[in-house]
Amino acid sequence: MRGLRKAFGAKVAVAGIDLDIPHGCFFGLVGPNGAGKTTTLGMVTGLLRPDAGLVLIDGVQVWRDPVAAKRRIGVLPEDLRLFDRLTGAELLTYNGLLRGIPAPVVETRASELLAVLGLADAAGTLVVDYSHGMRKKIALASALLHAPRVLFLDEPFEAIDPVSARTIRGLLERYTAGGATVVFSSHVMELVERLCDRVGIMHLGRLIAEGPTDQVRAGRSLEDAFVELVGASHAGAEELGWLGTWSA
Amino acid sequence: MAGHLVGLKLALLRNGLRRSNWPQQVGLALGALAGLPLAFGGFLLLALVPRAEPAAGLILVEAVFLLVFCGWGLFPLLSFAGDASLDPSRLALLPLRPGQLVAGLSLAACVGVAPLCTLVALGGAVVGFATLGPGMVLVVAAVLVQFALCIVGSRALLTALSHQLRSRRARDLVIVLVSVIALGFNLALQVGARLAERLERSDLEALRPLARALGWLPPGLAARALVNGGQGRLLAATAELAGATLAVVLLGWWWWRSLDRVLTTAEPAARRRARQPAGLFPRPLRRLLPADHRGAVAAKELRYLARHPRLRVGWVISCLLGLGLVAFVAVTDGLQHPWIVLAAQTMAFLAAQNSLNQFGFDGPAYWTQVVAGADPRGDLTGRNLASMLTGTVATAALALVLAAVTGGWLYVPVALCLGVGVLALSLGVADVVSVRFAYPLPDDASNLWAVQGTGQGCLVGVVQMVAFAAQGVLLLPVLALVAVGLVLWPPALVLACPAAVVYGAWLWRVGLGLGAAWLTGHQPELLTALSSRRAA
Repeated sequence: MRGLRKAFGAKVAVAGIDLDIPHGCFFGLVGPNGAGKTTTLGMVTGLLRPDAGLVLIDGVQVWRDPVAAKRRIGVLPEDLRLFDRLTGAELLTYNGLLRGIPAPVVETRASELLAVLGLADAAGTLVVDYSHGMRKKIALASALLHAPRVLFLDEPFEAIDPVSARTIRGLLERYTAGGATVVFSSHVMELVERLCDRVGIMHLGRLIAEGPTDQVRAGRSLEDAFVELVGASHAGAEELGWLGTWSA
Repeated sequence: MAGHLVGLKLALLRNGLRRSNWPQQVGLALGALAGLPLAFGGFLLLALVPRAEPAAGLILVEAVFLLVFCGWGLFPLLSFAGDASLDPSRLALLPLRPGQLVAGLSLAACVGVAPLCTLVALGGAVVGFATLGPGMVLVVAAVLVQFALCIVGSRALLTALSHQLRSRRARDLVIVLVSVIALGFNLALQVGARLAERLERSDLEALRPLARALGWLPPGLAARALVNGGQGRLLAATAELAGATLAVVLLGWWWWRSLDRVLTTAEPAARRRARQPAGLFPRPLRRLLPADHRGAVAAKELRYLARHPRLRVGWVISCLLGLGLVAFVAVTDGLQHPWIVLAAQTMAFLAAQNSLNQFGFDGPAYWTQVVAGADPRGDLTGRNLASMLTGTVATAALALVLAAVTGGWLYVPVALCLGVGVLALSLGVADVVSVRFAYPLPDDASNLWAVQGTGQGCLVGVVQMVAFAAQGVLLLPVLALVAVGLVLWPPALVLACPAAVVYGAWLWRVGLGLGAAWLTGHQPELLTALSSRRAA
């Protein structure tokens, strides 16, 4: 992406980003709340029109040929608004047919994905009755259904139980080993540090650090590097002195 | 503690007003204004009728007390999801005993528009029945006991059912029930007013056995205590009042036990009813709908129609309008002409009005379509297909029922062809309007009257009226042909059948083309219009 920029009224959400993500890379985008991660992912995936800038995915310009670009990508957005009056299986069929996959292929892939993600028993349950973690998993299944070359995941591990998180991690690692690219945003630094080859740190709409994870860490933990780069303030302990005096 | 809970209720009332936008504030004001006539109407009824018609006194008081009691039982159940002060589990983390909560919540429940209106209405009975002397104390006590019955009974029922009321299924059911009850209430008022006009003294006598039976219910006991106290039968009044008070105590005990259970029992995990995985396409339509993205969109729309409470309510209302038309024709002798069957196309016209904001129910979930890169023309076609199917079925059903009433079976094919033409034409207009002037519909199933704070209600209204007028103008050639067929030259009706279908289909294609052409380059803009929350 080159010179990517977006403002909402007077508030500049993304203030010009230049970034290259190599093929087959596991890329982590981190930053405090309001840093512009979701806006950036929205512009890269064709959901939010940028004010300026260029996005190329696999050689295709997202905003010049959106249909060709969208064929190559899978998306898991942050707020998980789904057609939740469909059952899990119906939602996958719907997504598959929307993407032009033949119905028998959709059926086979959907049942495999439901089984791998532990949703087989809930395939006939309305998505509105799913827990948050289950919604994440069904949205991930929808994003994977057409075997995209690039996967964009906004907070994929939030509210996911440890067993499911391990399943998803394994699935994503196998997926990138096959040459696909995964770009994900997260607040969990340990996870980003463990999974990602490259990492980008966003703050106030700008990319303040980017590169191979070890290089960005520079010998520290990623969390320490992040806090140092973002310049977080320390809560004063003296103001909350009463916390040590028990009420009953 | 009680003071704190009363304060909490007052703060919730105040903040509810402060948070809401002006249409909601107008709605609240109108709600309060609607409560005033009910309160003063009840007051006057109870104050004046017993003096004028002493024979009707007991039956009237029993009926009013019972109705008020049932109202207090029912309405909080329907507004449970919208009123934070009604849910006891919100207080579960505070170190409070059930006894403290019962006392505090009872007092808090006495604060608000509904309790005030109830007290004013019941106060009429004091004016209507009280006479100076010891009986007056009993009359006032009976009114207070009836008020306590309402408050304690309502809270006890609500607390006992609070686990169930929080479920998604119950909230869905409530939405449908509220609209059906509102329509039923309106109908009951009309019928009740007609019946009251014809009521004779002898009819009152016929009601007496029923009144005697209802008199043993707690509100009936309070009513009898009030009447007997007013007429000086102090012993009987005291006994009946003791019975009603015992009911308050028993209800209080039930409330206390339910609170204890709600505050100490873990919320049961939501029971997920797994359906048999039947596939996206409804079984009867599997062969009819194309197995591609157009069919998928149509199937999704039909599934939503069957499962989303707001859409269900829309259909219930449409069906009631259709039934209303049939009833009107059936009871009006002058309208029993066979050609009335052609009026079935009003159903087609009304059904198409739901399509003026075809993307509204998608809301922010429309990202699914955008990110899939689905062809906008196919998307619109799928939505139109679903509307066409449901609209045609509804029109055909209405035409058949009207034919059965009037005997105009020959007009049924004409009505069907006209219906298809009207639907197609209206959908053509709707395709343009729904992509250019889309707005999100509230997804909140807990509140039927929830409106999205989009601040464009006025614009939406104007656009819909213009669309409505455009559809009307485009319909004129078809209507003219039908008029010629009915008045001057009957073969014109036969000609109108293919003409309406071809004309409608042509206009639909034009509308679809215009809508799809705009949408092709503007899917992200449509998504922004449908998302109430902006990305950050």
